Amino acid sequence: MHKLSAIELKDLFVKGEISAEQIAKHTLNRIEKYDADVGSFLDIHADKMLRKAKELDAKKKSGQKVGSMAAIPVAIKDNINIKDTITTCASKFLTNYKAVFDASVCKFLEEEDALIIGKTNLDEFAMGSSTENSAFKKTKNPWNLTCTPGGSSGGSAAAVAARLCPLSLGSDTGGSIRQPAAFTGIVGFKPTYGRVSRYGLVAFASSLDQIGPFSTTVADTALIMQTISKSCPYDSTNIHQDAPDYLSCLQTASLKGKKIGVPWHFLEKLSEESKNNFNQAVEVFKSLGADIVNIDLDILKYSIAVYYVLATAEASANLARFDGIRYGVRSQKATNLEEVYEFSRQEGFGPEVKNRILLGTYVLSSGFKDAYYKKAQQVRTLMVQKFKEAFSMCSLVLMPTSPIPAFTIGEIQDPLQMYLQDIYTIAANLIGAPAISVPSGFNKNNMPLGIQIIGPQLHDKEVLCAAHSYEQATGHGKIIPSYFDNEVSK
Amino acid sequence: MSHFDENDLIKLMKLSRIDCSAEEKQRFFKALSRVVSYMDQMSEVETTGVAPCNHILETMTNVMREDEVGQTLSRDTFLSNSPSHVGGMIKVPTIIKTTNS
Repeated sequence: MHKLSAIELKDLFVKGEISAEQIAKHTLNRIEKYDADVGSFLDIHADKMLRKAKELDAKKKSGQKVGSMAAIPVAIKDNINIKDTITTCASKFLTNYKAVFDASVCKFLEEEDALIIGKTNLDEFAMGSSTENSAFKKTKNPWNLTCTPGGSSGGSAAAVAARLCPLSLGSDTGGSIRQPAAFTGIVGFKPTYGRVSRYGLVAFASSLDQIGPFSTTVADTALIMQTISKSCPYDSTNIHQDAPDYLSCLQTASLKGKKIGVPWHFLEKLSEESKNNFNQAVEVFKSLGADIVNIDLDILKYSIAVYYVLATAEASANLARFDGIRYGVRSQKATNLEEVYEFSRQEGFGPEVKNRILLGTYVLSSGFKDAYYKKAQQVRTLMVQKFKEAFSMCSLVLMPTSPIPAFTIGEIQDPLQMYLQDIYTIAANLIGAPAISVPSGFNKNNMPLGIQIIGPQLHDKEVLCAAHSYEQATGHGKIIPSYFDNEVSK
Repeated sequence: MSHFDENDLIKLMKLSRIDCSAEEKQRFFKALSRVVSYMDQMSEVETTGVAPCNHILETMTNVMREDEVGQTLSRDTFLSNSPSHVGGMIKVPTIIKTTNS
């Protein structure tokens, strides 16, 4: 059963060949057998999931129509609220925080009869590129358990890659869905900014954050996107337009005559191995009838500087709410109000979160705001303009997802070195564009690699279609890490 | 462009309301100095007359709606996550010291 995609599982359920309870039990058994190795989950809502599965079986038996996500197990990154369950953001600060409302995405999934499994590991407050910054545990890459799965949504990526579940949700502020998808050989999609409601997602950098899915096929991503792209009155940045039927669109997807832009000059520094893999992907696009055009996106060499100014500035403001007063863990040492703030934040936040709050406070502080924050906003404007020029010459942009494949746990210690890993993913967040990472093969050590397709704002459908065409022509994502490719019987 | 010094770090800790150990201070000073000087490369970009990007969505317009009473969190629900509360109110340590003159 672990080899089945979300759509295949749902079809079996709808045909009556398998019950929701069987699917739920199978999922929980796989998690029990394998998650000690992978470390993808922080909390498993087994009772709730089984209860929902039984209710769904009864609903189907009574002849009622079941939802579009019926009986599909979905894992949720632990910075997205599920009512009455703990949302930790992988931070010691929130070990006791019980969500008092559902994130809209979880509500939408429930309404369509998905089976929500529980919460997955992440870098604390989604700040990191390896999931090593979790206060609780390190998640492993299913392709090599000594490597990181990438981050920050590493738990959601590893769970799908190890086939513990067919779908999961992550959040992407600078590549936190696409980079772990590339590292673990699966599909990861960051929709257009505002396409998916962020109500109930713990904010990191509000002008960049977006919720999106992980899956083993592009079709599964299209399916869940239809469910979670609904209009939401509780998110002021939500796009109040109905999403197209992404899944049906895939059936007529074609790259014939499509102009695909590649920023060749910007990609010159790519390692030989990654360059070869990328060039092979370009050849596939050509063989599918796409017309490859050279575009100038050299301005992206400043994207890391711009991103880490803006993202940390926004984070320093967003994380001011963690004061030890209204929720979270309050320091026991504090004897006055000032100490409540200072000691609670000292004890509750991990090193990378503190580092980013301090940095964000610096770039916003008097005397430096114009040189850093305002400057970064101006360069962001120039990036938007450059992409506009690029999209006047092509309909989509093709780039690698990451400059390197998954690295070993503990290998990158220097924060700046870690930030530099985001060089290809950040642009899509800065310009609010939809971008997908699709598996593009393996390196000599059998570690997965990914390519990234970026479209203009609100062209999520075109991005999914191009990814689907490439996936159908290659099939790299069908390969399962051998250690996890066993049927679990119980 | 700018030089990040230890006084900057002390000031930032105060502004951010984060207390740091000596070891942390050393680590953050090193990391922040490196990142800040990396960020300085933005000064190479000519931005005279370029408007700052305040919002990224091209299609975003101001959305108006009727002001309707909806569901809100009850006081008990809201307080359920508070580390300390009494009589329906959040409890914090002393804010104003009383002095006996």
